Amino acid sequence: MKKNFYIFTNGILKRKDNTICFEPFINQETQKPSKLLEQTDLTNIPEEEFLIDNDEIEDEKENQNAKTRKFIPVESIDSIYCFGEHRFNTKFLNFLSQSQIPLHIFNYYGFYTGTFYPRETQVSGKLLIAQVQHFLDEEKRLTIAKEFIRGSLFNMIKNLQYYNNRQKDLSYFIDYLTNALKKVDEVKSVEELMGIEGSARKNYYESWHLIINQPIDFQKREKQPPSNPVNALISFGNSLLYTTVLGEIYRNQLNPTISYLHTPGERRFSLSLDIAEVFKPLIVDRIIFALLNKNIIKQDDFEFHLNSCLLNENGRKIFVKEYDEKLSTTIKHRKLNRSISYQTLIRYECYKLIKHLLDAEEYQSFKIWW
Amino acid sequence: MYVILVYDAAPKRGQKVLKFLRKKLNWVQNSVFEGDITEASFMELKKEIEQLIDKKYDSIIYYVFDSKNYFERGIIGLEKSNLDTII
Repeated sequence: MKKNFYIFTNGILKRKDNTICFEPFINQETQKPSKLLEQTDLTNIPEEEFLIDNDEIEDEKENQNAKTRKFIPVESIDSIYCFGEHRFNTKFLNFLSQSQIPLHIFNYYGFYTGTFYPRETQVSGKLLIAQVQHFLDEEKRLTIAKEFIRGSLFNMIKNLQYYNNRQKDLSYFIDYLTNALKKVDEVKSVEELMGIEGSARKNYYESWHLIINQPIDFQKREKQPPSNPVNALISFGNSLLYTTVLGEIYRNQLNPTISYLHTPGERRFSLSLDIAEVFKPLIVDRIIFALLNKNIIKQDDFEFHLNSCLLNENGRKIFVKEYDEKLSTTIKHRKLNRSISYQTLIRYECYKLIKHLLDAEEYQSFKIWW
Repeated sequence: MYVILVYDAAPKRGQKVLKFLRKKLNWVQNSVFEGDITEASFMELKKEIEQLIDKKYDSIIYYVFDSKNYFERGIIGLEKSNLDTII
């Protein structure tokens, strides 16, 4: 119902008339961060210029910008994704917090920078204790971690089967993954589980040159930085998915830092990495197949540097458009007996996890049933 | 549900109505708003707008649809406001 807004145009985001207003800058050219630093020598600008309250100047400009500015109804926003150069003030952040809208920021190269995570309104000490308990108890932790992997592997197999039915022989990979899925039951530790998952995923990625109709030099997953277009697509897609999951976690009482499969406390909110694992094949991988096989994304949508390859702005826009459509795709849920979107599906995954943590119902990860 | 709302109010109240509606719906063109809205939010909207207008002089008309699938939306000439979520 509520929508995600993706802002690529550079401009000012502000609070106006109790809603959110976006005013594009007149000059839209962006420079690479390094160039920008070279050109503007900060020492030459008098200090006062930093201190001037811009509001007065902005009020003068307001009439000029009135035509291009756009009001976004606050009540229709789920979360905001910033991909360009934006300016906002604390007034705006206060307003976001009040309206409980997380703001995700991506840098010039499309990498995730961080999230403005508004004050948590849905807090529950009881659940937090349960979450920690399930983490500390090795056995309980493993049960949850296994279920994440089962969901992930199962959904990967479904993807492969889909293409296997379309004149592509993927039986070797399907067998391998099915075996891995069986092995999950016997695993004794989380590290071992990660090992199985790692090798299964490696195999899964190897099958991609059969699935994708274009000639691609995709052999293995590489990140930091991604080395070729497919890796760039995976990196970008996964970081989008992590933020979406984080946004959903924000809507309920779960604490995003306590995770079961990934080691908690490293880098980001790791619980969103755990839950995202289940949805990667359904959302990110399928978008990539569609983009490449339907020739929607082309070579000029990427930027090649010395030994890295990244999506450029146009490429990102294409991906985000597809991603947004994917999230709002609806399916008929079997248990609930009504149509829900993929994004809501992620939210239900959180609810299921909460139920498991509170010993109400055992957690069954999401598995594609169609 | 999807709502299309048009209003006609005296200038001094029109401004207030405009500012209020911006919170809930997308501005399409002068005195026309539309957008996806929950039933609860729409009830709230109706109640609050009643306070803003003078019922003797102003008029507000709205059209409610179950979803966007049941009508066709077209534009002739200028598109005054883009309703895209990718800006």
